[in-house]
Formats: sequence, structure tokens, C-alpha cells
Amino acid sequence: MERLRARDASAFESLYDGYHRLVFGIALRMLGEPTMAEDLTQAVFMKLWTNPDSFQTGNFGAWLSRVTRNRALDVLRSRASRAEDEIPTDLPDESSLDDVVFTRLDSQRVRAALAALPDDQRMPIELGFFGGITHEEIARKTAIPLGTIKTRIRSGLRRLRSELAGSVTR
Amino acid sequence: MNGSMDHDAMLDLVAVYALGALGASEHRIVTAHLLTCDTCRAEFDALRPAADAVALMAEEPVDSATSTRMKQRLMAQVNRDLERANVVPLESRRSRSFVTWAAAAAAGIAAVIALTTTASNVSLRSELATRNRDNATQQTQLARDARSQDAERTMIADLVASDGKHFPVTGGEVLERGTRLYISMKSLPALPKGKVYQAWTLAKGAKAVAPSVTFTPARGGVAVIALPESSANLVAVAVSVEPDGGSKVPTTKPTFVRPLS
Repeated sequence: MERLRARDASAFESLYDGYHRLVFGIALRMLGEPTMAEDLTQAVFMKLWTNPDSFQTGNFGAWLSRVTRNRALDVLRSRASRAEDEIPTDLPDESSLDDVVFTRLDSQRVRAALAALPDDQRMPIELGFFGGITHEEIARKTAIPLGTIKTRIRSGLRRLRSELAGSVTR
Repeated sequence: MNGSMDHDAMLDLVAVYALGALGASEHRIVTAHLLTCDTCRAEFDALRPAADAVALMAEEPVDSATSTRMKQRLMAQVNRDLERANVVPLESRRSRSFVTWAAAAAAGIAAVIALTTTASNVSLRSELATRNRDNATQQTQLARDARSQDAERTMIADLVASDGKHFPVTGGEVLERGTRLYISMKSLPALPKGKVYQAWTLAKGAKAVAPSVTFTPARGGVAVIALPESSANLVAVAVSVEPDGGSKVPTTKPTFVRPLS
């Protein structure tokens, strides 16, 4: 990151090589359209280039994922002209486990951990993360009571954490 | 949080918050609650990495044509940005050596000559100017976005930090961290139509309060407000109900007055 702050284009290129699959993948998964995913990937990396200080501490991959998801949520909101509650994405940015999770996990392990969840827990987690909708909208779309959706998200995340913890220590 | 049922419900909300799937009003409620509840904060810390990791499942190999195209677009933009940075005014580049200056000047003169020799280059310059203006607009917007995000990030870090000074008031608190001040309220009464809450600050030695920001609480009376004033020279913070648009002096009895000591 220091080299990036010094406007080193080769450092920036290395970051792109390392992370563009993740950024493009999140954008494609959320927007469902390759051209828009390309544009969003471009926007995310240009934001990093023009303002490298926007990343301060923590795990870079986790931060970049959040930036990508935020941008994709903006696109989804403008696309749908949503009347519903917007989904704010600012969260306290302190988590010592971020580093462990993002440094030692890969997409295959996460997919395996998610696949180990019961469908009724995995579905609201994936919809909530990639679908750009609130838990209330998930409840409406699936005709499942709101309280059940919340409980399943919590149970699912706890189980996912346990699966991932097992995965990184194996 | 009066009973265990209520708290279980809040823990469920914390999970949805960690996933990033709460609506704005509940998001503010949970943000405020995490300031005061260690149990929920621990739950958030436990679930947040799992929620973050969900992003990794989206990582996919990108076909080489797409990958190459994206990279070429991006690096072309980066190179344009670097070129533009190389023609900034002389005053900002005084530290550069004479040799660099001479080379830059020669390159600049050559570029100017080349650009003015043919009619087609006039068109090219016009397009370049348009693009530079577009880029400048985009840069300004990006800088504005970045400042806004930085401010939000700072506020959240301050609200959850353990070294902040908490000054309780009925239904909430005033928080001071460093020289930054926040008002965090959980249950402000609903406002009459045409009214807003307004914050006031009292400087050391001052005889009257000075007007600060106005705000309207979210559903349930929740409000988390960053005051623009530095706390360095302040001795008290107050809030009152004022007409929409705010007042120059308080016109109603304050909701609270809180000395910063």
C-alpha cells in the first residue's frame, strides 16, 4: 500500500492481478450482468488508485469486498428506484478475525462451508449478502416469517463461523 | 433491553447487521445499541468475519479476454492520470531537478508544436480538454465520496472505541473522543410538525450558547449526530426543539444541557 500511495503503477497492477477475480466475482454475482460488473470493477480499482488512503487498517481483501458490495448496492438501488429502506453498509471496522479468515481461506473453502449449511440458513445469508435486499424483503419474497429469517441468518452465520474456523485450523 | 426475549431479538438483529442486510432505521438502532451492550458487541465481533467471508464464494476465474480488457482499460486510465500529474503547475514541483524540468519542458514544447500543426489536432485537443474536464469532475466526486466515507468511518470508530468519554443524559449520552463530539440518543420524543432538534455548544468563558447542527431522529427516537465543533474549547452541549431550519438562540427549554466534565 505504501508503494500505491507513492503512485507506483506497477504496485497497483499487482493489486489488480491479485484481487480482480474477487471484485469482478462479487459485482457479477450482485448485478448479474458482465458489462456492468466490468464497469464496477473498473470503478472500484480507480477509487483505490485515486484515493489509496481510503484503506487504512485491517484486511485489505475484506475491505475491498465491502467497497465492491457497497458500490454494487448503489447500482442496484438506482436500477430499482427502491422505495424500501436503503441498506447502509457502514460497520464498525475492527475485527481481529478478519485477517485470519481472509488470509487463510479461499473461495473453495468458503463454498464448502456454505454448502454444509442447511438450505434454510444458506438461502437468507446469500440473498442478504448478494441480493442487495433487507431481511424484511427476504421475508416478503420467501413468505417466511421475519423472525424466522433473522434467527436463520444468525444460526447460519454462527455455523458458518464454526465451519470456517475448523477449515482454517485444518 | 428489558427482558431476555428482547435481548434475543436484538442478537438476531445484530447478525443481520453483520451481514449488511438491515434497513437504515434498524441499522441506526443496532449501531447505537452496540455502544452500550458488551454481549451484542461480542456477538457482532464473532459473526462479522463469517459474514465477510461470504464474499469469497463469489471469487471466480475471469476469462482471459475479459481480464485483459479490464486490465488494459484500467491501466490506460492510470497512465492518463500519471501523465496529467506530470503537467501540473511549476510551483507544485519545485523539488524536481533541473534535468527533469528540461526534459519535461522539451516534451511539453514538442507536444504543443505537434498538436498545433494540423487541423485534426485541434479536434484532438478539444476532445482532450473535454476528457480532462470530465476527469476533473469525476475526481472531485470521488474526493467528496472519500471524505464522506472517511467521516462515517471515523464516527463509527469513535462510537465503539473504549477510550471515549461518556457524558450520560436522559435517554442517551454525549460522547467525546479526542476533540470530536457526538450526541447519541436512543429515545428522543417525536417532534411536532415543522420542528427539529438543534444542538448547542457553550464555549469556555462564553455567556451564551452557540447554534450547532439541527437533526431529526429516526423511528423510535434514535439519533447519532456528529457535531462539527471541536470539543477543545467547549464546556457544555445542549439540545432543544426549534423551528425547522434552526434558530440563532434557543427558543424552547432545552431537552438537556450536559456539562463536559
